Amino acid sequence: MTSASVAAIAIIAALGSAFTMSAAGAAEKSIDIGIVTARSGPLAAPGKFQLNGFQLAVDTINKAGGVKIGSDTYQLALKVYDTHCNAAEGASAMQRLVGVDHVPVVLGEVCSPTAAAEAPVASDYSVPLILTVPTAPDLTRQGNPFLFRVNADTDQLNKALAAYVVERHWSPLSFIAWNNDAGRGGVNGMKALLPKDIAIGYVGYFDVGAVDFSSDVTNIRKSEARAVMLLMDEEPGALAIRQIRDAGLDTQLVGTLAMGSDRFLKRLDAKYLDGMVQYSAFPPSAPLQRIQEFGQAYRAHFGEEAHGFAAQSYDGLLLAVNAMQAAGTATDGAAIQKALSGLSFDGVIGHVQFDGNNQASPPVYITQWCKGGTRKIDFPADLKSGCGAG
Amino acid sequence: MTALLEQIVNGAMMGAIYVLVALGMVLIFGVMEILNFAHGVLFMAGGYLCDVFVLHLTGSYPLAVILTMVTLAIIGVALERGVFRRLRVNVPMQIVASLGLILMAENGAVLLFGPSALQLTVPSVHSLVRVGELSFTVQHFIIIGAAVASIAALQLFLRRTRLGAALRATSQNPEAARVIGIDSDRVYRLTFAVASALAGLGGALLGPLFLISPQMGDLPLLKGLTAIVLGGMGSIPGAIVGGFAIGIIEAVSTLFITTDYRDMVVFAVLIAILLVRPWGLFGIRVRGDA
Repeated sequence: MTSASVAAIAIIAALGSAFTMSAAGAAEKSIDIGIVTARSGPLAAPGKFQLNGFQLAVDTINKAGGVKIGSDTYQLALKVYDTHCNAAEGASAMQRLVGVDHVPVVLGEVCSPTAAAEAPVASDYSVPLILTVPTAPDLTRQGNPFLFRVNADTDQLNKALAAYVVERHWSPLSFIAWNNDAGRGGVNGMKALLPKDIAIGYVGYFDVGAVDFSSDVTNIRKSEARAVMLLMDEEPGALAIRQIRDAGLDTQLVGTLAMGSDRFLKRLDAKYLDGMVQYSAFPPSAPLQRIQEFGQAYRAHFGEEAHGFAAQSYDGLLLAVNAMQAAGTATDGAAIQKALSGLSFDGVIGHVQFDGNNQASPPVYITQWCKGGTRKIDFPADLKSGCGAG
Repeated sequence: MTALLEQIVNGAMMGAIYVLVALGMVLIFGVMEILNFAHGVLFMAGGYLCDVFVLHLTGSYPLAVILTMVTLAIIGVALERGVFRRLRVNVPMQIVASLGLILMAENGAVLLFGPSALQLTVPSVHSLVRVGELSFTVQHFIIIGAAVASIAALQLFLRRTRLGAALRATSQNPEAARVIGIDSDRVYRLTFAVASALAGLGGALLGPLFLISPQMGDLPLLKGLTAIVLGGMGSIPGAIVGGFAIGIIEAVSTLFITTDYRDMVVFAVLIAILLVRPWGLFGIRVRGDA
């Protein structure tokens, strides 16, 4: 047994789950877990990380002999539909998962508007939908008892960052953001959190798939921004940073959770990133056992550095399994929903417990790039670290 | 003034890309009256092929660009023979076939290269040219220069060679061209080859500056199509002026409005011009035009 699988099984054991460890007790029955994600289109890359997280959780559980629910032991399988981050296709996939495939629980989605279209279907069929990536704050404020979110929403992510910006008085602050719920919601959320003495410089929105940020760069220069916040994913983020720095702008860069990893460093030379700060739900080099163990297991499975979306999705799937165990059913969505509401869970991303809106509040970190391409944790204060541990 | 200069250079660079796409589309439309909506995937294929040639075959970016153009020319000939020749008189089927090709090519790229965009690193992207307080990558000027050189080469080819004359003759009157012995099938193959090579050149030039992804041809296709409508359907000077105009208008407009509205400005200008000149800036007015 590899050290990675030992680590993964240790996580499961620590959660108190009753997985069968012996090969002799191998499960014969199986449960299909519904997955909605983007496997093609411009958001296929984050979709891949999300799916990897689900796959790692399922493989770990199955390798340990399956999961015991009631008196039966089950193997898990993923029933995956590609929604292309399209609302109509998301609703259709959700309908199929709950109406035709009869899955007991659905997880996933990358895009907030698509998740918003899927949520009513979950409610109509009384099947829980657990989101692991979308960040639009309104999603869990619609009063839908069957919609849960494991990851932090934009407001939660922005809160720590806003205090950080105020402390350093980065004014004027400019933005380049996705022209969607996540981007616009992030800008509005940040603006609402900042005091009046932090001026807002330039705000530019771009459509998913755009690659040319030269107009934004010119406007950031015009606005004389002290800092620019990049509300976007890894690929556009790397492009925007390169174009900002190549144009000779030395403004402070502020990024998102997609921009604090060695994977991101590979896209850019370390000189482009020196000094940049970003919020993070999963600093991959943090000196925390849960993060280190997950990172090792992920690397052993997929041969690359772990991603925050994968960690969130891994936890989401384990939560679903725990809820099925607590409810004692692998078919009754309503019972699983009730169990999910009351669960308290220590996962890879930290402690997960849903509030009255079914929104979890996992820890948020702020990390900063150091010279030479390492990172340090700057927030929270009790986890502050030197370069090489962020 | 600094901002204006920066945006003119940026706009000219993107305009050069639109010109390369528009020239190919206008050639195909002018000679064969086919609107190839799959032209964007040839642009995308140029990016991926260049990446493969640089990393796995030549190690040289200039050589890879040339190989990309040659490969795209061959793919263009295959497309003409395999798909578009049979659909020449059937416009609805051309559109359906184009859309099918887009889906096949974009999903094929995901299958072959994975969903993450590729980043091709070449020296000209990391070398900077300083102009006062501004700086641009050398690749910016390579793109503009390559587009200008392609325009000049195309003009020379069309005006000074027998093949170019055959192409122009077929464009003006296919029946008469056939009567005087011009092999129209050969002309059609040549047209697709040149157009596809230009699209491949665009993809190979822009890929290293930005990213190589399955959707990288979508925007140049839309803007290239807009350029040929603005310049006048079938007009090569129109495609050149239209492409550069769109690039510069959209870049400069962002000095006055936010970037998410720049396409609105481009299309507002297009509509305004078409209201005054429905045949476009350089198009030929035909009976029935307002």
